[in-house]
Amino acid sequence: MQVDLSTIATLTDVSKSLGSTPVLDRFSLAIRAGEVTALLGPNGAGKTTTVGLLTGRLQPDAGTARLFGLDPTRPAARMRMGVMLQTAGLPDVLSVTEVVTLQSGYYADPRPVAETLAIASLTDLAQRRCGALSGGQARRVQYALAICGRPALLVLDEPTAAMDRASRQALWATVRAAADDGTAVLLTSHDLEEADALADRVLVMNHGRIVADDSPANLRARAGGSVIRCRTALAPAMLQALPAVRAAGNEGGDQRIVTADAVATVRALCAADPSLSQLRIADAALEDAIATLLAPADQRNAA
Amino acid sequence: MIATLPAGIWRREAAAELKRSWRLPQFLLPTVLTPAAFYALFTLAINQSPSPAAAAASLAGYGVFAAIGPALFGFGAGVAMEREQGLIELKRVSPLPAGAFVAAKLVAAVAAVAAAVGLIYCVAILAGVRLSVGQWLVLALLHFAATLPFGLIGLGIGMRMSGKGAVAVANALFLGSAMVGGLWIPSTMLPAWMRAVGEFAPSYHLGQVARGIVGADTIGSLPLHGAIVVAMTMAAAVWAWTGWRRNPA
Repeated sequence: MQVDLSTIATLTDVSKSLGSTPVLDRFSLAIRAGEVTALLGPNGAGKTTTVGLLTGRLQPDAGTARLFGLDPTRPAARMRMGVMLQTAGLPDVLSVTEVVTLQSGYYADPRPVAETLAIASLTDLAQRRCGALSGGQARRVQYALAICGRPALLVLDEPTAAMDRASRQALWATVRAAADDGTAVLLTSHDLEEADALADRVLVMNHGRIVADDSPANLRARAGGSVIRCRTALAPAMLQALPAVRAAGNEGGDQRIVTADAVATVRALCAADPSLSQLRIADAALEDAIATLLAPADQRNAA
Repeated sequence: MIATLPAGIWRREAAAELKRSWRLPQFLLPTVLTPAAFYALFTLAINQSPSPAAAAASLAGYGVFAAIGPALFGFGAGVAMEREQGLIELKRVSPLPAGAFVAAKLVAAVAAVAAAVGLIYCVAILAGVRLSVGQWLVLALLHFAATLPFGLIGLGIGMRMSGKGAVAVANALFLGSAMVGGLWIPSTMLPAWMRAVGEFAPSYHLGQVARGIVGADTIGSLPLHGAIVVAMTMAAAVWAWTGWRRNPA
């Protein structure tokens, strides 16, 4: 794997409001070559705006955005970037081959169309019109459009939404292969399993700020605790007040409690709620680490 | 190192846009057929063999009418629907220059205008309209050029409105600008208030220039009408550009 930590895309002191709502305020971010960076966070955290600024769809109100050293709103800056957007559509009346051929023509050194179709598992669908594709197939076409120009930066916005498990695994394998060839990847996702499987670096955003920037392994270690699931009559606010609890919330009919010290929490929990049932304890996952990171910020915000 | 944009990017985009229009005939066919049908019905059938001069004067206006439809619908309603489907977003994150996107749409619109206008010319020739080769060429040039201001107005609408809203507005402008612009009924026969409104429509000034080309009676100075069309086209370009810039998708 090519290890080149030079910066290929940056936001520097960027502020951006959508309408009258400030989304980003003096926000900075650097995407480095040879890394898979996952951008995580709840809806409204500013992920989509960040991607919009880096891909040239949005212009910052203040500060600078740079893509390969150029303003991303300039077409030339986007020559070495491939983008797969969640909300982008396809022209219904053109075939898969026609759409991929057209897009390939936008780039200076595109892959052969047949190769692009093969990578995205579209060879059998080459002659089908885009209007006749299933949701998962259309996502694969979007992926093909993102990689057809041999990008040095691949931006994937919720790439596996609407995909079945097998397609998801196949896409992860091709993204990993691209990353191993030295392509930088910026990934936004709601699926933490996806971030854990692909990312070298996880950026957690909340309220327009980065609240964590670390490897998935380090983030898990930072959570460093356990997850308790149980049925209890106690309200989430009371659960959060128990010893060592980092975050608590509903999950199905259960309460889900992230704790730094399972023994201390369970002891207090049993004492506080005699009707406690279905108690289970597991190691914290990346999801729990992120819930922990987000919880204090949300509480501060509510206060 | 940043590579320059590949050669032929504008031409290929235009070819793809023509292919898309060709495969969506239900979208363009009404705007291509309506003007010729109106011309045949209102000028030739109702009047029952009008003089060739009257048919030529009417042809001048109906040709402008034929250009407005594909321009307003292809750009306005078409762009608004493409925006809703996320097609424009796809283009905007690619290295395709905005100019190539707009030019491709313009080529497709002019192709539809050529079909619509050609059809009217055939009806006119059958009805006995005779013009010199030079007059036909200049008239065709003017009718094709009418695509530009209305295309830009349409683009500004398409970037600001939903698909349904844009269709409604395009319809209203299509019929309204033909009416107040004197493209169906000569401006001299319109009520005063309609003529006054028409002064603000590019269709009126284009119609007057077209009437001048075929040798029909006109109102006011033709160079002034031409200058007003140019000014209105530039204003429409600003309207389209600001719409493109302010809308994230």
